[in-house]
Amino acid sequence: MSSGADDAPVSARADLATAAVLLALGIAIIVESWGMPRFVVQSGTGLTAPGIVPGFHGAMIVLLAGLLGLRSLRQAGTKGAPATDVGSVALTAALGLIYAVGLIGRLPFWLAAALFVFSFTACFEWRASAGRRVRRLAEAAVLGLLTGGAVTYVFERIFLVRLP
Amino acid sequence: MNDPFTMLAGGFSYVLGGGAIFHALWATLLGIVVGALPGLTATMGVALLTTLTFSMGPQVAMLVLVCVYVGAIYGGSRSAILLNIPGTPASAASTLDGYPLAMQGQAGRAMGISTLGSWLGTLFGTLMLAIFAPTLGDFALSFGSYEMFWVALFGIIIAGSLSGGDSLKGYLAGFIGLFVATVGQESNHAYARFAFGNSDLAGGLGLLPVLVGVFGVSEVMGAMRGATVQAVSSKIDSVIPRISDVTKYWRTILRSGGLGTFIGAMPGLGEDIAAWTSYAAAKRTSKERHLFGKGSVEGLMAAETGESACVPGAIIPVLTLGVPGSAPAAVLMAAMMIHGLNPGPMLAISTPEFIYQIVAMLIIADMVKLIYGLILVRPLLWVLLIPRSRLMPIVFVLCTIGAYAITSRLFDVYVMLGAGLVGFILRELKFPMAPLVLGVVLGELLDKNLLRGLVLSGGDISPFFTRPISAFLFALTLLATLYAVPGLPGRLRGMLRRKPA
Repeated sequence: MSSGADDAPVSARADLATAAVLLALGIAIIVESWGMPRFVVQSGTGLTAPGIVPGFHGAMIVLLAGLLGLRSLRQAGTKGAPATDVGSVALTAALGLIYAVGLIGRLPFWLAAALFVFSFTACFEWRASAGRRVRRLAEAAVLGLLTGGAVTYVFERIFLVRLP
Repeated sequence: MNDPFTMLAGGFSYVLGGGAIFHALWATLLGIVVGALPGLTATMGVALLTTLTFSMGPQVAMLVLVCVYVGAIYGGSRSAILLNIPGTPASAASTLDGYPLAMQGQAGRAMGISTLGSWLGTLFGTLMLAIFAPTLGDFALSFGSYEMFWVALFGIIIAGSLSGGDSLKGYLAGFIGLFVATVGQESNHAYARFAFGNSDLAGGLGLLPVLVGVFGVSEVMGAMRGATVQAVSSKIDSVIPRISDVTKYWRTILRSGGLGTFIGAMPGLGEDIAAWTSYAAAKRTSKERHLFGKGSVEGLMAAETGESACVPGAIIPVLTLGVPGSAPAAVLMAAMMIHGLNPGPMLAISTPEFIYQIVAMLIIADMVKLIYGLILVRPLLWVLLIPRSRLMPIVFVLCTIGAYAITSRLFDVYVMLGAGLVGFILRELKFPMAPLVLGVVLGELLDKNLLRGLVLSGGDISPFFTRPISAFLFALTLLATLYAVPGLPGRLRGMLRRKPA
């Protein structure tokens, strides 16, 4: 129902792999739900067993993933859109991971935020622009410090939100 | 007993107390900016602001969130018109005629039409909310556990069937969302499901960290991938709307308003579907059909009115059933729960005045939006051109604060990160996100009502199918599923056509 370049289909092979992963997830959910205590003594009937609802979800995931897998086998050979800019996505994910797992909680929040914004902006603009790199780096540093300071001030003092 | 006009006046006086206009002004502006920036959606704006307004009172927090929601859905049309990129998915239909109008040197007129259409749409939808929400709320009081189970399942199935793209993947996304909601202690025996001895997991995956991850982090990752944007032109004609555009297309405005509100009120169908449906309906009945896609004023008006009427429409089921009508409304509902307002059928009993307070908030947001729409032209153009390499890290920092703020657990930041990565991969594999969100939000409702229904009936599942409303909702769910089976609707139509002959 929507338009745009993003609508290119996913390749049949990617769908098959997704179906396999989801099938495994669904089976794991069913196995885990089955192993949950049933609390038959407490409830008298066992109808409040914690495993019923997740077991139902797991069964539906298995069923739907199976259908997805069968469909992808029938449509084998369908080519998907060419891979998008993997480098940028990987860089974003890596920087986000270092910031959220490595920096937050170990450094004061304003410093962690400043370092993250600086390195993010610097990395992407370094790749994009050949000239004026020194100026870009300086701008990134200023942006990082401003963000760290402003965010810390606004949320801690005005919104009274606790920061990591 | 409770006269609607007195209640509405009460709603206004309640909302307008305590510097509310100030909050409405900044929140609507923020919403428009968030909506206008490609890569930041209304859902993300509402999710982030939910956690950031956590320490405010419920009255101010709700006003801020409603303003961000209304503003963001409108703001998306700015980038649709000027850049040919929908700022939020809701504005995709606006690119079809908005951008051609801008290319013809009528960018200002297009923005004026979008402002006016959006203003009228929200106003129309709000009127419908004020009229129908109290009655529907009374009706919903007759729903028991069996019915609520179907309402939750119907929401996920219809979101999967119709939220655009692949319905099989829509259902899968919905059930993955439902599964995510089961992690942690359940309500009957406090057994920690899928915790594996970890005390953080036993507390469950927080609704908002998951939503901020799926809509914040994964959108940041997606946004860093695209090419840089360029505005269509720096010369913009007058944005003051023409009265003739309204008088000429009043039928389109009313039809789109009605369609938008109705689609909003259906669980899980969001603003994008409202806009596309209104656009298609206008095209089918228009005398100027040949202009559609080439810069039709009527087409743009239909899309804008439809998407903006959907906003109050999507809040109707939140207030009456406790089931969200769209993804941003799902987050709004989560915010209501956090602030101790209990959305759902009981609202009509416990706090009937809240419905009218929401009406007052919507009207205030709509008026502020109109003012900004007419005066903020150039500043919004500058905002659109901020490089993503500078904006996105700041958004990411806000996401981490948002995830952390509610319970002050670093675990929630990791949940956000995990949800963001998984959300990004699912998006890349063309899984729609609306059913996923609905699943996470409705998981508890479905869980509680399925088990409660089973206990009440002593393990007999027949009441789920035999009670009149249950049977009706089951039939609707089944129809929504059958509709999505490839080729089946056409075959059924063929069979029906052959019979009378």
